[in-house]
Amino acid sequence: MIALVDCNSFYASCEQVFRPDLWGTPVVVLSNNDGCVIAANKEAKALSEIPMFEPVFKIKKQLTDNNVTFFSSNYTLYGEMSQRVMNVLKTFSPQVEIYSIDEAFVDFAGMKYSSLEDYGHCIRKTVYRSTGLPVGVGVAPTKVLAKLANKISKKFAHINNNVCVIDTEEKRIKALKWAKINDVWGIGGKHAKRLQNIGVFTAYEFTQLPEEWVRKNMTVVGVRIWNELRGTSCIEFKTLPKPRKGIATAKSFGKKLEDLGMIMEACSYYISEVTEILRAQKSCATYLQVFLHTNYFSDRDKQYSKSITITLAMPTCDTFVLIYEAKKALELIYKPGYRYKKVGVCLSGIIPQEYVQGNLFHAPPKWNKNELLKTFDAINKKYGKSTVFSALVGTRVKEWELIKEDRSPRYTTQWKELLKVKAKKNLQKTEGF
Amino acid sequence: MTHLGIPSSALSNIFLQMKTLSSGKLGKIQKRHNPEPSRQTGFPSAATHYTEPPIDLHKELVLNRDATFFARIEGDEFKEYDIQDGDVLIIDRSLSAVSNRLALTIVDGEFTVLRIPKKQVGSEFILWGIITYIIHYVQ
Repeated sequence: MIALVDCNSFYASCEQVFRPDLWGTPVVVLSNNDGCVIAANKEAKALSEIPMFEPVFKIKKQLTDNNVTFFSSNYTLYGEMSQRVMNVLKTFSPQVEIYSIDEAFVDFAGMKYSSLEDYGHCIRKTVYRSTGLPVGVGVAPTKVLAKLANKISKKFAHINNNVCVIDTEEKRIKALKWAKINDVWGIGGKHAKRLQNIGVFTAYEFTQLPEEWVRKNMTVVGVRIWNELRGTSCIEFKTLPKPRKGIATAKSFGKKLEDLGMIMEACSYYISEVTEILRAQKSCATYLQVFLHTNYFSDRDKQYSKSITITLAMPTCDTFVLIYEAKKALELIYKPGYRYKKVGVCLSGIIPQEYVQGNLFHAPPKWNKNELLKTFDAINKKYGKSTVFSALVGTRVKEWELIKEDRSPRYTTQWKELLKVKAKKNLQKTEGF
Repeated sequence: MTHLGIPSSALSNIFLQMKTLSSGKLGKIQKRHNPEPSRQTGFPSAATHYTEPPIDLHKELVLNRDATFFARIEGDEFKEYDIQDGDVLIIDRSLSAVSNRLALTIVDGEFTVLRIPKKQVGSEFILWGIITYIIHYVQ
């Protein structure tokens, strides 16, 4: 049996752990550049006027009118809290697949249990007890069914207390009949539409289709989901992620930038960020994409956006080489006279370092012997991000970087931003000790 | 039902009982081991088989990392518990609410420090975590 454990409104819940004054009130979290709402808790979702993924400036009034508390995203905090949840889950099974920042598959294969329901509740209580974060637990024989069980655990939380187990044929059929076809994990909008067109509206109806039809129309991926829904496990349990195929970063500037120099510094900063990840996974990139655009939402500004992809002479993970290449690329696409909102970089064609082939003029470099990069990474790891950096990054980061106005403290990673406990306002020694 | 990991709360309780005795003698000594080849260029050190890693305060004071949080006190409201302005609390959320222990609690939606009363029925607080240590900077 496999459990899918998923945190309820993860980002908002992380904020609420440290803000008991907000328990039971609507909370939303805004995207990295404070652009739009990316997460909302139960109370905020209940307010139909708050649309997700809408630019914040359009809905700020609705937020304040409904007493919604909003936070800039605090990924440092969410990342650390996620780590805690995953660590707690690892005490329940040696096999834990971390699927995303807020969900994990827990494999119970080879374990003896008398009641999966009790075990599910034990997981839920222990995670809450340790971290303060509420989770839902769905248990079933396959991953796709576990995902569905998790959905049911949330939908009917008032009955099952956030734990749902599909362990009998009867329960499986009941769940499948309840689930709409577009609720099934792995069935995208396109396939869902096509299935609805032929009269398949529930997961149950989907499992009644002949395997041939599914294979022909939805490829082997569809057959896997079909089998999983029928109770045959065929999506493997992974404990390690695949190395990333593309690494990108793009963040809006704190203010509109016209000057190429400062845009170039931001671009170099992003290159430093992505190349760090590249080296951490011992890979090299073959292609570099750089893009630049103005603010789409602004009616006053002239609009311009341009992207360029270059093939590197030899795949590399060298920050300095890539900054140099990005600088050349940016000079090609930059046009003066526009007020730019965002620059971004994306590395792709990512291959393991040892697969890099030499060319006519150069042998492939030995990356593990590159003392400069090794020292560079070691210093930054020990003393903090950007302790040493390329001079092209410059020292004006604070001038272009977006200031997250409503970010909560990094309670669990910064000694200077710890949770504060003050005297209670409404107790003020009225109780006469 | 088997639970392959030891529940973290139980683990912390066991460790808490292993305190240093007040007479100066030691309670149960934690086993620590750090095998390393001798580094001496002349005579190998006689300590070779007895080396232990130096004390790591985080290891000693934080028994359940995943359930431990820190909080800083502002103001002199909690002097009765020997907690002063600027002190840092180490809070373990996994510990049980044993009466008389100091705890970070929530009363009317606000954090406050309380000693857990003997009779918990009727008292209106929500437990957030048990305070295990108070870190105080000596001026």
